[in-house]
Amino acid sequence: MLILGIETATEQVSVAIGGHEGVLGMFEVCRGRRHAETLTPAIQFVCAQADIDIAEIGLVAVDVGPGLFTGMRVGLAAAKALAQALRVPMIGMSSLDLLAFPLRFSDRTIAAVVDARKGELFYAFYKPVPGGVQRVLEPRCGTVDDLIGDIMARGDDTLCVGDGALRYRDEIRADLRCEFAEQFLSRPSAAPLVQLAHARALREDWVNPWEIQPLYLRLPDAQINWSTREQGRTDQTGPIER
Amino acid sequence: MTGSASAAPTGGAPRLLRPSGAPAGPVDEHTLVLGIETSCDETAAALVLGGYDVASSVVSTQVDLHAQYGGVVPEIASRAHLDVLNPVVARAIVEAGVPDRRIDAIACTIGPGLIGALLVGVSAAKSLALAWDVPFVGVHHHEAHLYAAFLEDPTLEFPLVVLLVSGGHTMLIEMQDHGRYRLLGRTIDDAAGEAFDKVARFLGLGYPGGPAIDREAARGNPEAIPFPRAMLHDGLDVSFSGLKTAVMNHVRKHPDVSSEDVAASFQAAVVDVLVQKSRRAAQQVGAKGLVLAGGVAANSLLREQFLDACEADGIHAFLPSREMCTDNAAMIAAAGWHRLRSDGPTPLDCGAFPNLRIPGLT
Ligand SMILES: [Zn+2]
Repeated sequence: MLILGIETATEQVSVAIGGHEGVLGMFEVCRGRRHAETLTPAIQFVCAQADIDIAEIGLVAVDVGPGLFTGMRVGLAAAKALAQALRVPMIGMSSLDLLAFPLRFSDRTIAAVVDARKGELFYAFYKPVPGGVQRVLEPRCGTVDDLIGDIMARGDDTLCVGDGALRYRDEIRADLRCEFAEQFLSRPSAAPLVQLAHARALREDWVNPWEIQPLYLRLPDAQINWSTREQGRTDQTGPIER
Repeated sequence: MTGSASAAPTGGAPRLLRPSGAPAGPVDEHTLVLGIETSCDETAAALVLGGYDVASSVVSTQVDLHAQYGGVVPEIASRAHLDVLNPVVARAIVEAGVPDRRIDAIACTIGPGLIGALLVGVSAAKSLALAWDVPFVGVHHHEAHLYAAFLEDPTLEFPLVVLLVSGGHTMLIEMQDHGRYRLLGRTIDDAAGEAFDKVARFLGLGYPGGPAIDREAARGNPEAIPFPRAMLHDGLDVSFSGLKTAVMNHVRKHPDVSSEDVAASFQAAVVDVLVQKSRRAAQQVGAKGLVLAGGVAANSLLREQFLDACEADGIHAFLPSREMCTDNAAMIAAAGWHRLRSDGPTPLDCGAFPNLRIPGLT
């Protein structure tokens, strides 16, 4: 079965296609035009260069976040529509799982950290296990101090990966003796997405397109402000006018 | 929008591969277009045959999600679009009773609108085009509103004057031919729908403001308060910000005033200006018809006075049904059919454009 992987949770657009032979083709770019402009031609390009007809795709895998909302929705909308049109199932996977998986041969605890902007991070912790990684701290949204606190609380030797880890490298280093993964591993990629999805597809562990749920980990600002206001405080940012 | 490629400001970036999923076949009365609309707070999909025949039209509105905030919250809108778009598209296809492989092209709003909301529709639409190997065509949301009239009255003759009034825009447009427009006048400040929302919120009538004012005004006296009609005898532009301020000042000075009378007098002032300007515009260009479009076109007083004015002037009036006034995807599919015929497919590296100008507008 051929699997198309789509990943747009960070500034990167990543598309890969593969199956039981592993990853057969891949496109990745993290600067230039924006997600929506790049993604559709990228899918077309990868399939054409790997000599695969779109109709041969048997499953669409997608990064469901956490990540930058607008970007990750571009990938989710594109992936869900593609699966719907091709009448094939889907597998959704977290951006944090995709960051951790390529580091599975490390003997350290892996902290996968995606930059959430606005001074916040999305992160989760993993332990290497035979054949992959296992989550030991569930995905959450917090500040760099929260992250440092959570790493300290575990007390493990830690390997940090992700654009969020690189952004706050100095702050993290000031408090902890952590190692940092290479820059080219700092964004989730569609290659591990296809590889991990293939293993799950063998178990038919998939869902229908309308069952794919984005992992936002953060409410819309208006909702946060609304509940704040409900508690009697004031806020500056309201909804925009129609 | 390839023909008027300047309208799709994709810059000089490289165009990869073929311009779209497939070369467009002849665009004729057999061409079945799937339209998708996600520019604001309605998620919509529709199938339209030959540019005029609506085979299905499904609209899922988010109005309840935004009501407590008194306006559309972009992030909430984008999340909701992503949640419901697949089922909305599926339902439009089922209701049309056609196999999905029968669809000849995918049309989608690419602007103007909320960027995050637009991107959900555009990304999905391009995927559908890719998967089914059919052309993708980007549509301007306001041009689609102009085409809503043709779906219900294909006999409309050019030149037409269209009064496009919605929450985001208020303009008078001369439609000289398909794809050829001239901007005759527009609001210099608030859009009419925006004025309705703000006054409704001020009067505590709730959201959305248009229907709320309409209901309240029905019980009030439209002549109770002589609110100003700004720039009434002055060109074809309109202004509503002074009127909105006058309403607020009046209510502050007369706290016991009946909100029914305020709503009725405010609505009368807005409608008065819109109708007079439309009438003058139609006379100026020798229009064969005068058309209402956009969400505010559902306002009952505006519809009534618009018809009366056209009758008095002996000019053909067209009032779309309320479903066609508000955002829907049938109008997107119709406009897409015309654009596909005149300009061909839109490249698949197309994004979304929050401030897109109407192509062919002078
Ligand atoms: Zn509209």
